[in-house]
Amino acid sequence: MKLLVCIKQVPDLESRFKPNTEGVWYNETDLAFRMNEYDEYAVEQAVQLREKLGDGTELTVLSIGPDRVVEAIKKSLAMGCDNAVHVQDSAASSKDPWQISSIISAYVKDKGFDIIFTGMQSQDRGSAQVGVTVAEQLGMACTTTIIGFEYDNGTVTAKRELEGGIKAAVKLKTPALVTCQLGLNTPRYPTLPNIMKAKKKEITAIAVGDLLKEAALATTTSFHPPAKKGGGIVLEGDVGELVDKVIALLKDKTAVLR
Amino acid sequence: MEVTRQIYWNIGHGVVIPMYILAFAAFGVMGWGFWQRLPIWRQGKALNRFDRYDERVKRMLSEVFSQSKIFRVTDGGIFHSIFFWSFLVLFAGTMLVMIQADFFTPVLNVNLLSGEFYKGFSLILDIAGILALVMLAGLFIRRFIIKPKGLEIVKDDYIVLQLLFAILITGFLIEGARMAATEMQQNPALAAFSPGGLLAGQLFATMSSGTQLVAHKILWWLHFALVLGFFCAIPYTKLRHILTTSANAFLAPFEPKGAIATINMEDDTVEQFGAAAITDLTWKDIFDADACTSCKRCQDRCPAATTDKPLSPMKIVKQIGELAEGNPTGNLIETVSQDALWSCTTCRACQDVCPANIEHVNKILEMRRNLTLMEGAFPGDEVKTAVNNIEVNGNPFGLAYAARGDWAEGLELKTMEQDSDVDILYFVGCYASFDRRNQAIARNFVTICNAAGIKVGILGKEEKCCGEPVRKLGNEYLYQMTAAENIELIKAYNVKKIVATCPHCFNTLARDYKDLGLDVPVEHYSTYINDLLDANRLKLTPEPFSYTYHDSCYLGRYMDIIDQPRAILSQAGGAIREMDKNGYDSFCCSAGGGRIIAEEKLGSKISEVRIKMATDTGAPLLISNCPFCLTMFEDGIKTGGAEGQLQVRDLAEIVAERIAS
Repeated sequence: MKLLVCIKQVPDLESRFKPNTEGVWYNETDLAFRMNEYDEYAVEQAVQLREKLGDGTELTVLSIGPDRVVEAIKKSLAMGCDNAVHVQDSAASSKDPWQISSIISAYVKDKGFDIIFTGMQSQDRGSAQVGVTVAEQLGMACTTTIIGFEYDNGTVTAKRELEGGIKAAVKLKTPALVTCQLGLNTPRYPTLPNIMKAKKKEITAIAVGDLLKEAALATTTSFHPPAKKGGGIVLEGDVGELVDKVIALLKDKTAVLR
Repeated sequence: MEVTRQIYWNIGHGVVIPMYILAFAAFGVMGWGFWQRLPIWRQGKALNRFDRYDERVKRMLSEVFSQSKIFRVTDGGIFHSIFFWSFLVLFAGTMLVMIQADFFTPVLNVNLLSGEFYKGFSLILDIAGILALVMLAGLFIRRFIIKPKGLEIVKDDYIVLQLLFAILITGFLIEGARMAATEMQQNPALAAFSPGGLLAGQLFATMSSGTQLVAHKILWWLHFALVLGFFCAIPYTKLRHILTTSANAFLAPFEPKGAIATINMEDDTVEQFGAAAITDLTWKDIFDADACTSCKRCQDRCPAATTDKPLSPMKIVKQIGELAEGNPTGNLIETVSQDALWSCTTCRACQDVCPANIEHVNKILEMRRNLTLMEGAFPGDEVKTAVNNIEVNGNPFGLAYAARGDWAEGLELKTMEQDSDVDILYFVGCYASFDRRNQAIARNFVTICNAAGIKVGILGKEEKCCGEPVRKLGNEYLYQMTAAENIELIKAYNVKKIVATCPHCFNTLARDYKDLGLDVPVEHYSTYINDLLDANRLKLTPEPFSYTYHDSCYLGRYMDIIDQPRAILSQAGGAIREMDKNGYDSFCCSAGGGRIIAEEKLGSKISEVRIKMATDTGAPLLISNCPFCLTMFEDGIKTGGAEGQLQVRDLAEIVAERIAS
């Protein structure tokens, strides 16, 4: 059985973001990078399945990006992936979700993966489109935002989290793709022997040009912090007084009563 | 004729050969007992503790005969020390009698034990015997009547105390019986030089001389049998400490305090890290269990044990011994328990006070290494988050690494990247860099340096966590990763001297980084400021204030820096009111051993206990020298209800406010 997990390396959200000179994405200076949180759930789930199925199962981790993404790949290998594919692309951040999924699909096409795990979305761009688009491009069954995962004999049973706290259970025949949500599992901390073993695992490098034949469908036109707005006010107390306060505010701050 | 005493009186010289045979047999039993323990110790990993032989012997003799580590704690320690010296005198006296009887008399035909020397000899030995009995009685009362909290009573205690009492009492009885039949009648003036024997002699005084002789003979053999029993019992009872605890003074490490074995991360043949079984520990770790006398001094001083956490350093040492003897393949970590292991603050109070030179802290660290490196375990989710934060942003808070130097805004201070030609590199550390309260330490330290005309540089956003908390939690891998980055940077800037305000950074950079190739002098700001004052480069305008001072573990116990901070504060005008637990006996704030990034979920709060000690002095001000301590005490004052009563401030704040203009 062949498993694939797709991961992205993203900036730590505590970092200080500044737009780049083109103003269409962030400047990478002074950013700390880490594995996308949802992708960590995907890796953990894939590794758990890999451990359950035992020998004869191969788990590959794939990531697209510049050289720095190798760090995230290594972490996945240390967590228990068997081998890795690094699609080398120093301009990955300028690609739209269609192009990213096309790269993955182009790689996966003839490899015969039974289950593909991805994060629900990335923490930086947050399109939540890559996983589902890959499934669509490859004609795989797909479900998103899973918080529970089981596999038995060609069938994936997934628990999904829907809007408003509603849960759903779905069954998919493999080949299938799932996108993983917070609550699915607790990603493991790699042990030192596994970190050591990971150093010897194979990372296949593929130039992005060998896989990407698609043009972008969407273009980012601007990246900027939201304009600063005044803070909100919460009024409390007697309704009569509140009405007076609201009227005073409307007179003072707005033009509606003038 | 000169006064003397007839050796083997009433026993006869015929006893010499059987006596020596029996004595050697007893030594044989003793030797056999220890021989049998060898394979138990040998289950541990190799470790060389037989180098620097002369120094080791010297240290052993000095520690054993001075009893310095024993009477450091007066409770029990005074009794033991005086008992030891008395018993030693008795032993030496007996040896002298032996040499006289079996060498001087038959071979040289001289009698040393005669005249004035004999009088003195007799008196000293009698006094030693009486002292030994009194001390033994004191120890008996302490153990069986006063029963100090935590002092266990085991079978050995009955055996050993009874045996020692019996030996001493029969010793006096033999003397009494002999004196009743001889000196007391023939030379009462001489008898006065044996006060103990004279007293015991009253029991025999009214007996017929035939009865006296029989009683003497029986007592002599009884006493002899008891002494043989004593030697035989050594390896099989707590008496083994006579040899094992003494041996531990020989075997104690010469490495600087707090040194931890640096794991070779390049060696990919190693598949086991840390200790999961006793065979992963060193032979010395197992031997330590035999050197432990269960005096529970470690337990009494352990901040975790005294705040009802499931850790007793003594118990861990015992558990290792029990596994080594009974179940060598048993699960060490399960036996000790994860909660016990994670509760340790590595404050070193246990190891510092241990009269047996037992190395508690590194045992705990080895087990933590196994938990962390082999199991990926953490004391809690908050720790896992903090460790991840250190990996990503180089600080446990998870704040942007690029903001690390922001605290210096507005100060006359450059980063090494901007100007590396500086007098000192100030290694700021995570807390003084990011924590608002602790930034005051950093800012004030720089102000002090500026006033003294010292050119300071910082690494700013290039600096990373020194790795201390994660190392103490067992994560040697992450420690070495972050350390390597810091070291590479420091080397590249050609730094002449490093000063740290955090004792944890200080210990790590000064001692641990050496193993990783950093060879730059590192100082803590307390000694650095003290030197600036001594050299008159810094002048203070003293203002009187009353304070109590907290010795942080990693400055006091680990680095022996105890007087210098007090000297600075005295120059600043401070009048100290010491807490009972100060200096080497200081009580941890709770944040060492990586506990700074862990929540204290078990037992009561260590910081509140320490705050209570501070308020008990009546001083309105508690001065610390460590960002971790400051953080814990700010917290402990709030949660412990000492607000308005006690204020905690850092040494740098006090000094900076008093710089002479």
